[in-house]
Amino acid sequence: VRSAAERLIGKARVGNEGAILRLFEEHHLPLYRFAWRLTGSTADAEDIVQECFLALLRPGCGFDPARTPLRTYLFGAVRNQWLKRLRRREECAAQERVDDLTPEKSALRGEVADAVARAIAALPQTQREVLVLAHYEQLSLAEIGEITELEVTAVKSRLQRARAALREMLAAYAPETERIL
Amino acid sequence: MNDAELNQMLDSWEAPAPAASLREGLLDRFPRAEPRRFGRKLVWALATVAASLVLVIGLGQGADYSSDFPMLRFIGDFYNHVLDGLDLHQMHGLMVRIEQSSPKVSVDGQPAAPLVYGPGTAMSVEVPGGGTYKFISVRRREEFLLSRGGTPAGWVDAGHIHGSMIEFEAGGKQVRIECNQPIADSDRVVFVRRLQ
Repeated sequence: VRSAAERLIGKARVGNEGAILRLFEEHHLPLYRFAWRLTGSTADAEDIVQECFLALLRPGCGFDPARTPLRTYLFGAVRNQWLKRLRRREECAAQERVDDLTPEKSALRGEVADAVARAIAALPQTQREVLVLAHYEQLSLAEIGEITELEVTAVKSRLQRARAALREMLAAYAPETERIL
Repeated sequence: MNDAELNQMLDSWEAPAPAASLREGLLDRFPRAEPRRFGRKLVWALATVAASLVLVIGLGQGADYSSDFPMLRFIGDFYNHVLDGLDLHQMHGLMVRIEQSSPKVSVDGQPAAPLVYGPGTAMSVEVPGGGTYKFISVRRREEFLLSRGGTPAGWVDAGHIHGSMIEFEAGGKQVRIECNQPIADSDRVVFVRRLQ
């Protein structure tokens, strides 16, 4: 018996626009947030999310509903797209975008939020993705393990290290946080 | 900094809502199925009509099955309506051509009053001592009669049109209308009715 997602993907593969839109409406928000937090760029996040949906339609698509829920598969696809881009740009481009914030921009966007963005961008890629999925998308350790192809213990360990690093990087803002939040 | 404080700080970094361009971009890149074009539908519709006409004409030349098969009767009626429409269009064109061809009317060889055009596609001719007669012309007698279930009340199959000449019988007299140029591509049948 085919799942609803499978049926929609099947229809979208033969050019049914309504089917791809239903898949998009159901999943695009968390995927976009995830992509945006990884890349720090609206344009890159849009491109990655679009690419993930389009990749579902390709004959060689590795989505297997028997093994992975579509949501988990799509998060994994976003991550893979991001990693591809990172390799192409040697990570520095993504780093520059976050560092590129002027003091004025920082003031406008909120100093704490900027500090958090900078701190997360400074995390190693392996910790950053785990932290974003766990904290911002509220995914379980098992789901994150499936997306990042890691054991749950490894996910837990990376998450702890990420939080420890953030705690250290953001320590200077702690009094500020109390005042602002 | 404890866990709750760290979480509070992390929450201050909010992701923006996706712009409409995300959805639009996806649709732009989405390989849609090629929509079926009107041309293909039209070809199928024409082929269906042509096949139906062949079927009806074939049946019309053989036994009358139309009363036994409602679908065939419907197709036959449709076919007759199409022919009527064509006839009406042609009759109007014919009347215009007659009017533009300086028609000379004679009754039993004697010059008679000019034609009166209309109403509709009919024309009238005055037959001395016999009254006024209205006439119309159709391409095929059988189809005209079939579509109306026989000769319409008051109308008589009375003559024909050939080239530039219209000839028919009215009130026992021979009416000839001679035009200065051909008015019909093929011979046509003339039906005549006496006006009260």
